[in-house]
Amino acid sequence: MYNILVVDDDKEIVGAIEIYLKNEGYNILKAYNGKEALDLVNKNDIHLILLDIMMPEKDGLETLEELRKTKNIPVILLSAKSEDYDKIGGLNLGADDYITKPFNPLELIARVKSHLRRYVSLGTIKKEEDGNVYSTGGLVLNDDTKKVLVDGKEVKLTATEFNILKFLIQNKGKVYSIPDIYENVWKEEGFGAENIIAVHIRHIREKIEINPKEPRYLKVIWGVGYKIEDEK
Amino acid sequence: MYTNIKSENYEQEKQNMKSQKLYWDYVDGKVDTNINYLDSENIKYNYSFIYAMEKQTDTSYSIIDYDIYTSCDLSSMEEYSAYGINETLYTYMLENRTQPIYAIIVSTIALIIIAIYLIWSIGHKEGEVGITLNSIDKIPYEILVFVCLMILSIALAVVVNMGGTINYVILLVGILGYLLCYAMCAVIGVTTIKRIKAKKFIKSFLIYKIGKFCFDKIQGWFRTINQNATENKRIFWYYLLFIIISIMLVSLFYTGIAIILLIGFWIWAYYQIKKYILEQEKIKNALKDIYEGKSNDVHLNESELKGALKEMAIYVNDIASGFSNAINESLKSERLKTELITNVSHDIKTPLTSIINYVDLLKKENIHDEKVKEYIDILDKKSQRLKKLTEDLVEASKVSSGNVKLNLENINIKELFNQTIGEFKDRFEEKNLIIETTIPNDNIKINADSRYLYRIIENLFSNITKYALEGSRVYIDIIEKEKIVDISIKNISKDKLNISSDELMQRFVRGDKSRYTEGSGLGLSIAKSLTELQGGTFDIIIDGDLFKVHIIWSKV
Repeated sequence: MYNILVVDDDKEIVGAIEIYLKNEGYNILKAYNGKEALDLVNKNDIHLILLDIMMPEKDGLETLEELRKTKNIPVILLSAKSEDYDKIGGLNLGADDYITKPFNPLELIARVKSHLRRYVSLGTIKKEEDGNVYSTGGLVLNDDTKKVLVDGKEVKLTATEFNILKFLIQNKGKVYSIPDIYENVWKEEGFGAENIIAVHIRHIREKIEINPKEPRYLKVIWGVGYKIEDEK
Repeated sequence: MYTNIKSENYEQEKQNMKSQKLYWDYVDGKVDTNINYLDSENIKYNYSFIYAMEKQTDTSYSIIDYDIYTSCDLSSMEEYSAYGINETLYTYMLENRTQPIYAIIVSTIALIIIAIYLIWSIGHKEGEVGITLNSIDKIPYEILVFVCLMILSIALAVVVNMGGTINYVILLVGILGYLLCYAMCAVIGVTTIKRIKAKKFIKSFLIYKIGKFCFDKIQGWFRTINQNATENKRIFWYYLLFIIISIMLVSLFYTGIAIILLIGFWIWAYYQIKKYILEQEKIKNALKDIYEGKSNDVHLNESELKGALKEMAIYVNDIASGFSNAINESLKSERLKTELITNVSHDIKTPLTSIINYVDLLKKENIHDEKVKEYIDILDKKSQRLKKLTEDLVEASKVSSGNVKLNLENINIKELFNQTIGEFKDRFEEKNLIIETTIPNDNIKINADSRYLYRIIENLFSNITKYALEGSRVYIDIIEKEKIVDISIKNISKDKLNISSDELMQRFVRGDKSRYTEGSGLGLSIAKSLTELQGGTFDIIIDGDLFKVHIIWSKV
């Protein structure tokens, strides 16, 4: 049983999140401002925090700053502010993720699960990375078993999708254009079938990403190509 | 009578005296002596003695012919004679000649100190700040000096020519003369120092005053020409002046200096014309900047210019600052509008989150009533649309006010289209849309922000999936030209397009029929603004049911 702390000054939002997460079997603690949240963190064993930014007394960013001095619990920021600089600012302060309001409940649950898995199980185990296992963040591709795991959960990919993902994860951090991928995966020059690769990439994204429009692992650089983000 | 002459023989005694001592002889008004320079011309006579002598000739004694010889022993006379006194004085002075040097040094130092004090203190009056000038100091300098020198020279002439004989009148005149000399020197000295200290030395010259008067007159005349005359008349006057000066200098041609002056004058005139034209050029450039919308950069230095050019510069500056003020104002109000929309959207998003979440929770409840299910469905759709609307609204206001940070890089248009078509392939296929692409084999690079460029194409493709006639063809043509890339996207609208292309690109406008469907109506507006922000052009052409988007971008 994991303890999740939900912090938001809007009681209805806290209530809705409580319902969703309780359905998933988590134990919920509630706080309506930053001070209450810090009190609860000190008194309880908490595994994850959902934190709103705009709150009275002590706002989310201040709370986060204070929290990070002592704790390493995953924190997902929850805010109506959707500007890039808001997200970057929050992540730089030590947040692990950023969800904008209004959020999709399914996405929220998926992210909560992903962070918990990483924090509780994967975070402590050192990933074995021999010749045939490649990983970035919570994404693990095993070339021997032909299996792909996202935060410990298996994802089914077609053979083509697996090969494309394998090529990209083997060269993580580097950007490859469609022709590059074609040549490297099919070992021949590809003409005409260019947008087929794009379709495959989108399918891979839909399978491995929580929000395919804002991918975490398989990034699209429009007009340049694709890459697998190199996460430590 | 007393004599020490012992000899009986008169002639012999005379010869004796002549040979041994100084002698002086007076015979019949004639002098015979062995004393140098003491001949008849240099002898002062004691007239009374001569008179007595001559008178005696008339007496009964009748001494007709007699000589008087006097002689003196210098050694016994030394102390009392004028020679003796001078001799004593001379020896005294010779012995003590080093003594006065101290006196000279002391008095020189005293002189310097007093002079410094006087120079420092002259002109300062008790209780007044600065240098006080009296009426003498206001007399033109050269006149004052001339008058003083006149008096000085007269006085000096009097003093010098007083002659050897002294009486009281002459003495008085002499003293007065000396005093006048000193007074004149003092007046000149004092007034010179005061004028220099008051920084009015040069200004107090009569010639300066005359020069300044003439200069002011000429300047005033020029100013009248500059201010009152029309440009036409001004040119005439300047040209006339040029001709007159040229003719004057030509007529003096026989002197060598006139040629140099004439050439110099012509060169000067050339530079004046050149300067005028260059200044005019500056104003022209400023106007060009305003015309091109760069009114912020315009600032002409009015004080450097004269006459009509100055007026022009003032007007141009006024227009420029008016323009940039207006632009700044509108930018500011756009920014405020964007801020307002962003803030309002934050406030909308929070309650919207609850609505969406609780609608979603309602959907999961076990509801059997079909009507309730239908209502919940409507709530769900509308709340989702509200969400999309707020997001698009913020983006549209940001983009149209230029409030986005562009991250420009070289983008391969071909790759971008392949990627985007890949993203939309399934959605196109859902609507049975057939994509016909004409994309060149070579890579085409343009300078753009890849995320915003994707946003443009995404908006257009998303419109196609919403509004294109099902089963029709969509044409995507990328044509590479010499300097530009011409992208056109054509599709057939499923509804009749009864509005103009301009209206379509305005915010919130959609074809009437599509008003009740999904979407915010901001897509085209956002796409157009984003294209223009990145330096491209965005056009919509409507031809019957044919909907065509035309994007032109310059190549790298």
